[in-house]
Amino acid sequence: MFSKGVMAGLAMAAGLALPTASMAESPTIKTIEERGTMLCSGHNGSYFGFVEVNDKNEWKGLDIDLCRAMTTALLGDPEKAQIVPLSWAQRFPALQSGDVDIIIKATGWTMGRDTELGLQFSIPYFFGGAQFMAHGDLGITEAKDLEGGTICVEAGTTIERIAANYLQSLGVEHTMVSYEKASELRAAYLANRCDSFVAWGPFLAVLRATELDNPDAHVILNDQLSNEPISAAMRQGDEEFVDFTNWMLAALLIAEEEGITSENVQEMAANPPNPKIARLLGTEPGMGERLGIRDTWAREMIAAVGNYGEIYHRNLGDDSPYKLERGLNNLWSHGGVLYAPQLD
Amino acid sequence: MATVAMLGNFDWKQFKRRAFSTPANSAITIIVYAVLLWLVWTAINWALFNAVWSAEDVEQCSKEGACWSVIDARYRLILFGLYPFDEHWRSTLACLAIVGTIVLSCFPWTWTAKRLSVIWVVGFAAYYLLMEGGLLGLTQVTTDQWGGLALTLFLFSSVVLIGMPMGLGLALARRSEMPVLRTFASLVIDLIRSLPLLTTLFTAAVVMPILLPSWLEGDKIWRVIIAFGLFFACYQAEVLRGGFQAIPKGQFEAGKALGLTYWQILGRIVLPQVFRHALPATINNVVVTFKETAIVIIIGFFDILASANAAFGTPEWAPYYLEVLIFVALIYWVFLFGLGQYGEYLKRRMKVAER
Repeated sequence: MFSKGVMAGLAMAAGLALPTASMAESPTIKTIEERGTMLCSGHNGSYFGFVEVNDKNEWKGLDIDLCRAMTTALLGDPEKAQIVPLSWAQRFPALQSGDVDIIIKATGWTMGRDTELGLQFSIPYFFGGAQFMAHGDLGITEAKDLEGGTICVEAGTTIERIAANYLQSLGVEHTMVSYEKASELRAAYLANRCDSFVAWGPFLAVLRATELDNPDAHVILNDQLSNEPISAAMRQGDEEFVDFTNWMLAALLIAEEEGITSENVQEMAANPPNPKIARLLGTEPGMGERLGIRDTWAREMIAAVGNYGEIYHRNLGDDSPYKLERGLNNLWSHGGVLYAPQLD
Repeated sequence: MATVAMLGNFDWKQFKRRAFSTPANSAITIIVYAVLLWLVWTAINWALFNAVWSAEDVEQCSKEGACWSVIDARYRLILFGLYPFDEHWRSTLACLAIVGTIVLSCFPWTWTAKRLSVIWVVGFAAYYLLMEGGLLGLTQVTTDQWGGLALTLFLFSSVVLIGMPMGLGLALARRSEMPVLRTFASLVIDLIRSLPLLTTLFTAAVVMPILLPSWLEGDKIWRVIIAFGLFFACYQAEVLRGGFQAIPKGQFEAGKALGLTYWQILGRIVLPQVFRHALPATINNVVVTFKETAIVIIIGFFDILASANAAFGTPEWAPYYLEVLIFVALIYWVFLFGLGQYGEYLKRRMKVAER
């Protein structure tokens, strides 16, 4: 029989030895480092705002920027991100067969995917939900102003039910008109057959920016009717890689919280205003060792792609043609639901 | 050519007799032609006279005319997909190599096994070397960056190149006197023809890597080309079988009586006739295959249609999707119309043999 002291000693040794040993063991990170490039999911065409191709034949978009951020953190160079074009149907098999290292492709975190498909998800990096868009000349900004109005919706979708419930709970009298096809729905809204149009928020923003003659004449209302968390998906069984992805996303959020941008990151790293920033940017050691990579990974990443806010504004927000309000996708301190785990 | 010839032989007297026989008929003729003329005029106006041509003038684009600025700004994406921007000259030369190979092998002068194989080997080697690089100081570009017209042409010509001999082999095996071979060929043909192309390609691209050991996996593009080639071969085998059935058995027997070997009879007597009989259906099969290459969009290849989708997939170019699709349709038309006309030429050429 072992004495209690020996048992405790063994437990402590195991507890101390395991985390550091396992941190470097992520098979995915090992593969990426050996290969020298990171394989991310692209799209077979264009998915507005998230995955697009610019005039120089380069990928861009929110999902692409996150892939570049991750690549910079791992390999020190955003150019080492290799975007593999994938269709929607192909993305999960492609991940399982190793054609890509991670799926960052506007993919919702659902129970079925998490359990049956053998995936694991990162913390959500984007929240999309049903929203209303209304003609600007009505002068409204909130759903409660829709009293007595006509609302167009695609028939048979969950959004139809969500919108009806939401307006009922607000006590707003309204007429719901449903259309079988998205194109009919659009035409009806444009022909002023309805005051408002309910659909997935980013979809409304894309529609406003691309198909309406005068984007400024339409308002996306502030109300969020539903909420679908969008996460990065990874193969089951590589917890260290999930940890890395989560802390990569967390670092982007902490950077925004602390006012670190791609512009001022080098200054901040040289003279960190507080210990948290010093630790985040690798001025003080510790950040890298825990994840098994370089201490300066977050600094390099932010210098290359910016903080979460910069990425959002460049691709979906004010600096993009879509002008989609931050809404839920703001930091918790600004009325959104994005927050980072505690950096200790 | 045949279409042009038909226009040249237009019988005006007959047209007059039929279209203007009664006042009512004349009225209908005039109205129909007026509407047609108006449609054509509107289309020309939109596409040419009111159109904006250069990328810098995109501000002038309006509903009145086509906005070809989108093509000016994005044609490289449509033609070459995600191929690195600075290396587009390689993609251009590679396209020319493939088109040159196809055109050369259309001339009767090249129709010997030796010449054809030399042309195709050289053409494909040139294409592959230019696109993939990694040799002679060319930087390597992996196949997942290939795209646009260059990829569509490569897929199409490889599928036909692999599928044609395989189809012939399957057709011969199906007519073989060896029961095992015959049953095997029938099984393969019937099995593959009863599966949708999409499923076949999806399996080759996505499921295979999970099942196969990694040393056998190969590049995704080759798995897809082989699967597509097999699919083409099974249809082509059935097309050729029709050709075989049209040839009287007596010819085979006559050949044997003259002391010719199986391969001599096949090569000098039977096959030339088989190809002649099967020509219209073969051209049909080839044309369909060219268009079917667009299916690879589903397994993440950036073919010409996918790159067209990406070309109007940014907010500044999204309103001009029609222009992009018309441009792509024109490219398809040039290739397929050329192929169809070539089929007509072959038919006329072979008629000479029948006279």
